[in-house]
Amino acid sequence: MEQIISPIALYLICALGAAGIALALPRRASSKTFEYVGVILVTAAFGFAALLLGLKASDAGNPMPNFFFYPFAFVAIGASVRVMTHKRPVYSALYFIMTIIASCGMYILLSAEFMAFALIIIYAGAILITYLFVIMLATQAPTGDGDDELDDVDAVAREPMLASAIGFVMVGLITAAMFGGIGQLPDSKMTQAQAANSVLVNLPKKVDKILEREGLLADGWRVSRDTQTGQAMIDVDDRTIQIELIEGDTVSATRLLTTDDWPDALAADNIDRLGFNLMHDHPIMIELAGVILLMAMLGATVLARKHTELEEALKAAQARKLGTMFDDDEESSGGHA
Amino acid sequence: MMHAFESIQLAQLAFPTEMSTSVLAPYLFVSAAMFCIGLVGFLTRKNMIIMFLCTELMFQAAGLALIAFGRHHLGADGQTFVIFVLCIAAAEAAMALALVVLLFRHRESLSASAWKELNG
Repeated sequence: MEQIISPIALYLICALGAAGIALALPRRASSKTFEYVGVILVTAAFGFAALLLGLKASDAGNPMPNFFFYPFAFVAIGASVRVMTHKRPVYSALYFIMTIIASCGMYILLSAEFMAFALIIIYAGAILITYLFVIMLATQAPTGDGDDELDDVDAVAREPMLASAIGFVMVGLITAAMFGGIGQLPDSKMTQAQAANSVLVNLPKKVDKILEREGLLADGWRVSRDTQTGQAMIDVDDRTIQIELIEGDTVSATRLLTTDDWPDALAADNIDRLGFNLMHDHPIMIELAGVILLMAMLGATVLARKHTELEEALKAAQARKLGTMFDDDEESSGGHA
Repeated sequence: MMHAFESIQLAQLAFPTEMSTSVLAPYLFVSAAMFCIGLVGFLTRKNMIIMFLCTELMFQAAGLALIAFGRHHLGADGQTFVIFVLCIAAAEAAMALALVVLLFRHRESLSASAWKELNG
């Protein structure tokens, strides 16, 4: 398999991107123009690389990504450059939301709709709000609009040239490794129909519901279940469904629905597949995720707790107060006894 | 050129067709670029809040690569892993921001170099 993109072009693009990042990184002397030129340079370099990949593919007769991929890619990269180069943290956080929304667009193009919306809700809705709260809680002395008033923390980057060079080497290495190996990727193990419907076999109740809605099941009929595994007796490749009549606890009749009867609505959608995969294949991971979240919550609470320093006299007063409270309790409980 | 403008096929309506590696490659490139931008940001910026935002950027890039690979293989594993990445990112954000608040209270500065003497 030949390289997808020639290494020289790739390294040139990466170098251009690195130069743009070095230009866009904040420093004392830099003007707004420098920053914008830098951001545009990075975006153009990486966007151009993505475009080049697509055009190369279309030359060779391979499919290109969907047209909408390009605007999303440009916005994602441009906004992420702004996240790391903006001098004011609030703007960085807002640009990060923009990155999230652009990547959600790409998720939808990759037909991961549920994750796209979950990402907006969790990232843009929850995590970024936490960031904004902390930015408000932990701000240094308020500054005006001018960049001159900004503290060194925000206005000066550490070793911009060196870090950009490291970034350049990283992008070059990662992409070279990926594009060198992408030809050896194994083809999908499942056919399209299998991938779409293999999960249906495991959801007999859903199949029942769809067949009932389509009017294919008379009263008392349902999809046949495998006696051992409980899976629905569906042949996805031949598009046949076996149904059975239940009387009491016994099966009194079975019938085979043929390809012509296969309803269009009988297909697993994204959420079915994701939910089944999550619950069936990774149950322990869910438990672990729960433990991690609980521990993070505890840890964050303990860390961010405010330690109040009381003076000795105050401490004594507090202790005396608590002591009298306990005494009162004892007296009152004694009284009742 | 026309097929580039094909309408967005939602999996809810029809299951997507197989995705070739030539479509996968640009997604991976965007993911790599985003990851490295996050990395450079983490290395260069001094403000701790922006440093942690840059780690979120790296999480985001990893998620995009996972979803793209999952789509290529027509499986749901990629999306499942992104759920866990989200979960870890949420936990990390909570801990990191608690740390930022704690450190800010001690030094009245968000600079990571205010804690230079911790270099072992």
